[in-house]
Amino acid sequence: MGFPPSRVFVRNCGKVALVNESLDTWFAREILVHESALMRYLLRSWFRRDEIHDLRQDIYVRVYEAAAKARPAMPKSFMFTTARHLMTDRLRRGRVVSIEAVGDLDALNVLIDDVSPERRLSARQELQRLTAAFDRLPERCREVVWLRRVEELSQKEVAARMGIGEKTVEKQVAKGMRLIAEYFYGGSAVLRTSRRAAPAAERGDGHAQQQAD
Amino acid sequence: MPNSRQIERIAAAWLARRDAGAWSAHEQARLDAWLSACTAHRIAFVRLEAAWHQSDRLKALGAGVASGTLPARGAWTLSPFFDSPEAHHLPATGAANDAVGETPCPQPATPASATNPIRPARRAPKRPWRTRLRYVAAAAAVILTASLALGWHHYTAVEQATYRSAMGGLQEVPLADGSVVTLSSDSRILVTFSHGERHVDLQQGEAFFKVAKDPARPFVVGADGRRATAVGTRFAVRHGGTDLRVVVTEGLVRLEADNNPDGRRQPTTLLPAGSVATASNAGVVVRSGSIQRAEEYLSWRTGFVNFHDTPLSAAAAEFNRYNPRKIVIGDAAVGRMRIGGNFRWSNADTFVRLLEQGFPIRAVRRDNAIVLQHR
Repeated sequence: MGFPPSRVFVRNCGKVALVNESLDTWFAREILVHESALMRYLLRSWFRRDEIHDLRQDIYVRVYEAAAKARPAMPKSFMFTTARHLMTDRLRRGRVVSIEAVGDLDALNVLIDDVSPERRLSARQELQRLTAAFDRLPERCREVVWLRRVEELSQKEVAARMGIGEKTVEKQVAKGMRLIAEYFYGGSAVLRTSRRAAPAAERGDGHAQQQAD
Repeated sequence: MPNSRQIERIAAAWLARRDAGAWSAHEQARLDAWLSACTAHRIAFVRLEAAWHQSDRLKALGAGVASGTLPARGAWTLSPFFDSPEAHHLPATGAANDAVGETPCPQPATPASATNPIRPARRAPKRPWRTRLRYVAAAAAVILTASLALGWHHYTAVEQATYRSAMGGLQEVPLADGSVVTLSSDSRILVTFSHGERHVDLQQGEAFFKVAKDPARPFVVGADGRRATAVGTRFAVRHGGTDLRVVVTEGLVRLEADNNPDGRRQPTTLLPAGSVATASNAGVVVRSGSIQRAEEYLSWRTGFVNFHDTPLSAAAAEFNRYNPRKIVIGDAAVGRMRIGGNFRWSNADTFVRLLEQGFPIRAVRRDNAIVLQHR
């Protein structure tokens, strides 16, 4: 029986043109797009809402560092597996000791199968999600983002137009960046949380943002 | 160590500072130092930067709006841009409205306070048709650009892309229509989406398809002169040496063949969920069973292969689909032995060790092959 000649494959070569992209681009395209699914998962599995932001960071760090060595073939499931491991670790390390937590540990194994592959958003859907994110910005922040992003004024020009200081504009831009990322990537998960179980956490977050002004 | 929210704030401050302009090499050096200090810094920065980059698309909203005018929240839902049948099913439109009540800031949802430096003009419910037309055109141009950027040529006729997986690797490929393809080891597909049809050419190997419903555009998988057509369903197609295997786990698939050279056409076969069809020159053989049984043919997706009273020659061929180091049947008697079980396809070594323990088989291990001989 003959053997096929040995072949060299590029790992994870979804599209040949994308092979040489940077890790950061890969991370945005393959991992960040699933943030709303991840947030839904975390919100269902982790009962301490105030820790979720931190948990998400840890998950991203692990995925990013692993991908720096070798890009996972299935980024989304890799991210969810990482999330599950991290939550299990945290529970085991006893940072959280409670009956509820143990109950959740079991749930983690079930929920992972429950995570359906997300549809990739069309350009139109992305724009709608962005628009929704934009509309959720606080008034002044929304105005700054509009002038900077849509009318393409420089921060300096925005300051002049609105009659406020340049430092204030810079702060509002920073705030807009954070909130747009949260609403755009978090998407419906963020919305659903506030509607469902954790209005307190959301509102707490809101206060923190207000204080940052 | 600062917590994740504090890190996010610092990352945002850096980005906003850079966005302000007059960015010096010194500042860049300081930013680089901060970014390389720890991965948490880097991912916070990358995440915010990517979202901010996305927000560039908000320009589409400015089309047809006079300069210095800030449209009211949710005003978009009235615009022709969002006036599509799809829009009503999407969260965004609802979200835009809900958001008014849920914004973290306690400000009223009315368009603007009187102190606003730029006066948000209330949108007239009806615009002159000329403005409206311009609005639509501009918006369309922006969507088109965005679509092209995504590689989804919605307004052009055809989008084509080739995807392949490595030996021993699975690859999940989300398609533009919402369908998802899972490529098995060493497989290749050519995807062609046009206005009337979603066509996937299975050029090599095996693939599992989770098809998004779109009655107007059937989803067709072509291989070896045969076509498997589905609307919204789940099924797998696999290239054998001379035959083609189709496994359906949900919905209904229509399997048809191209005309034979003599002009005779093979009959069309309808495959309901639970079918395992094998098509060859001789025709199509369909085994209908439970969906669970059909799923077993697809356990490769979770890393396993299943055998039930399977000739060892066939089992070895199955392993060889996934591994560059081939299992070779040294003599015919070995190939006829029948085996059963559930094995990890990535672990051919274990499989061979089990064979040595349970059967009169001796394995000769070479660099690129394991030869099985009768003992």
